[in-house]
Amino acid sequence: MWDFIVERREDIAYNAFQHVNLVVQAVLLAFVVAVLLAILVTRVPALQSLANSVSAMGLTIPSLALLGLLLPLFGIGPSTAFPAVAFYATLPILRNAVVGLQGVDATLLESARGMGMSPVRSMMRVQLPLAWPVILAGVRVSTQMSMGIAAIAAIVLGPGLGGYIYTGLSQIGGANALNQALLGTIGVVILALALDALLLLLGRLTTSKGIRV
Amino acid sequence: MSAAEDPAAVARDERTSGGESRLMLFVLPAVVVLVFIGWVIWRQTANLDSIEERQLAWVVIGRLSWEHIQLTLVSTFFVLIVAIPLGVALTRPRFKKAAPVAIGIANAGQAAPSIGLIVLLAIWLSFGFWTAILSLTLYAILPVLRNTIVGLEGVDPTLVEAGRGVGMSAAAVLLRIELPLAVPVIMSGVRTALVLLVGTATLATFINAGGLGSLIITGINLFRYPIVVSGALLVALLALLIDWAGRVLEMYARPKGI
Amino acid sequence: MSTTTTPSGADIELIDVVKRYPGQKNPAVDSLSLHIPAGEIVMFVGPSGCGKTTSLKMINRLIEPTSGTIKIDGEDVRGKDVDNLRRNVGYVIQGGSLFPHMSVAQNIGLVPGLLKWGKSRTSDRVDELLELVGLDPARYRDRYPRELSGGQQQRVGVARGLAADPPVILMDEPFGAVDPITRQRLQDELLSIQDELHKTIVCVTHDIDEAVKLGDRILILEEGAQVAQYDTPEAVLVTPANPFVEDFVGAGSTLKQLSLSRVSDVELAETTTARSGESVPEVLDRARARNDTSVVVLDSRNRPCEWLWLRELQGHGTVPEFNAEEFVTLDRRATLNDALDTMLSSSHGAAVVTGRRDEYVGVVNFNAVTDFIQATEEQHAATAAADAANGESA
Repeated sequence: MWDFIVERREDIAYNAFQHVNLVVQAVLLAFVVAVLLAILVTRVPALQSLANSVSAMGLTIPSLALLGLLLPLFGIGPSTAFPAVAFYATLPILRNAVVGLQGVDATLLESARGMGMSPVRSMMRVQLPLAWPVILAGVRVSTQMSMGIAAIAAIVLGPGLGGYIYTGLSQIGGANALNQALLGTIGVVILALALDALLLLLGRLTTSKGIRV
Repeated sequence: MSAAEDPAAVARDERTSGGESRLMLFVLPAVVVLVFIGWVIWRQTANLDSIEERQLAWVVIGRLSWEHIQLTLVSTFFVLIVAIPLGVALTRPRFKKAAPVAIGIANAGQAAPSIGLIVLLAIWLSFGFWTAILSLTLYAILPVLRNTIVGLEGVDPTLVEAGRGVGMSAAAVLLRIELPLAVPVIMSGVRTALVLLVGTATLATFINAGGLGSLIITGINLFRYPIVVSGALLVALLALLIDWAGRVLEMYARPKGI
Repeated sequence: MSTTTTPSGADIELIDVVKRYPGQKNPAVDSLSLHIPAGEIVMFVGPSGCGKTTSLKMINRLIEPTSGTIKIDGEDVRGKDVDNLRRNVGYVIQGGSLFPHMSVAQNIGLVPGLLKWGKSRTSDRVDELLELVGLDPARYRDRYPRELSGGQQQRVGVARGLAADPPVILMDEPFGAVDPITRQRLQDELLSIQDELHKTIVCVTHDIDEAVKLGDRILILEEGAQVAQYDTPEAVLVTPANPFVEDFVGAGSTLKQLSLSRVSDVELAETTTARSGESVPEVLDRARARNDTSVVVLDSRNRPCEWLWLRELQGHGTVPEFNAEEFVTLDRRATLNDALDTMLSSSHGAAVVTGRRDEYVGVVNFNAVTDFIQATEEQHAATAAADAANGESA
């Protein structure tokens, strides 16, 4: 196994970077979209059950199915992998952001308004910071999920470590089949745990001391 | 990893807003049926070549769907008989201390990509249905285990003491008080597991265990988009349908009076 | 209560009972010895953390004593199967602790079910108990706990404790979670139930007024379940054993004497009664003949269900129906303290008194209570003077 890795270290490093790159970009896009949607949803209560239903339904659709549905539109390669990963990444963040924003004590918002804060300022200074830990928890779930979906997306030749798993599968019986599959799987686990640790650290640095648990 | 991992499953069950439940209970099956009818019309009228005709034959579709449902239900059965007793054991005083460890292991296991787990197990054991069942089961234990523990821990301890106090044995308190009261939370975990399983079962085709995923893979390999899209659509509809069935089950399993 | 009938309860004996929790320096219960006579209500009171609840729970072995012996009816509780022991000891907890997923009937029928009573015997028993605690079986049998008020839940809790007709009933702050008026009613009901059943009841409370009202004896505990005093309510109020008891019983002991006297000790007034459905003119004639300005309406089971001024009746052809469960009455076992509370909240300046099974007995008013207090005080003064005279002559 060790020789197998050393032989391919550059290739592995490149694919690992591609994997993380795909996930980070997708999650960043998802984050922006989800938080904006959540703000809209908390403003217009009628949209709330719709948003919850859509995100529950979205999470129900198997990732392989979504890849299949997107394939005719975007073609083989990262152009299909990216929107698929970003789609799933949005849903947990959206759900948590809605819960987090609504969880902010209404009296606090009232007192912010009473102090003369504009709605935008009150959102930026009060509501978002208070909802931040919940939103960040959504980002962590979303990131972990995206790591796995990115691995599956290698079936449409998406970038990253998933390729090793499929190669292992296609070479079954061959000398390196197990090594390939192990490399892909463990590589994704390590990257996922590392990203999660980074997000935890980010949470500690960006959460107000007053509400940190 | 399937797309069904549901972060808020634990916290959500009691809070599921009325609007969402209603939409999901009544609108969802209607949407599923409409889309399915649309697909049937397309299937009957589309101009398909011979390969597509063969792959999308009604017999094939029926067999793959049935395989998919079998994969989902059999693995759900194993998930239940492993996760619920384990969850019960981990909330008994004797093993209580092990609960965080078990949850931690299960959580870390969840970080492994589902496709990797399935392929590794297939290389290690063999291809086929039972290997698929094993990996699916391993993969979906976490939500049920976690919700069983959370649900049982959420039962008001004074009720447990009241049960013991009136002379119920520990087993009777578990069966007649703790488990019934934890049912809503456990069922929410079961539904999460069902959705996770129906999604992950699409990957079973990689190890020759059948299911609707094979349409998608065949379509990609043969570069036939009608097959890919049909497979994807049918899997998505089946997943939504199973999610719906899970919701209905959840509603009926909830004990009256809660 | 001093009773002439034979008690159906069993006596309880605690001998040198100790409970020590690991990691705590002082034992929670340190060598408690106590005899609880059959058929009596004994109240455990004391500050929080004094070990009163621990002592109670050791009787049905929800907590196992570290050492010492507890006997019920002469038999060591540790010699019995723990579940069997508990099925024969009623257990009533604060708020009722009803199982929310079971109907009222299922909650009450739980222990009879465990004891393998037949279906029909259990359901007869459930109805009988619901009657006993003042809930209409037809109406409440199939409800779920969340469809009941706090007081009703607590009543069902008491019924559940009584279900298998156990000789001993343990109660842990049974009426702690309800509002004062409901609490008073529940206490009254417990006393009238006890009048019929004569169980041995051990009850933990932190409320000295409740202890004085309900208890045949009061056990006042200090930290570590040290017995500060174990005596009748009269003795505890009149001759506290030490400064701790004096402090705990509190100021206003003369006022507390009001808790020692019952409504049944006072002369009750008569008033005009009417039944739902009766013709209003007839009722009005009857009331005017007696110079009454109001009538008490009774339901088919003789329970008072409303108290109307005559002008409220005028305009009606017949006397309307009312729900007896929503009408505040005073049990004849209620203390004068309770009576004053109830009268103050009534627009009539008086209260309707009920007896066994909530049946109408009469009316009590302020005059009756003040007369009674005056008489008692004169009597006390006379006894004191006599005592003093005796003391001088001795």
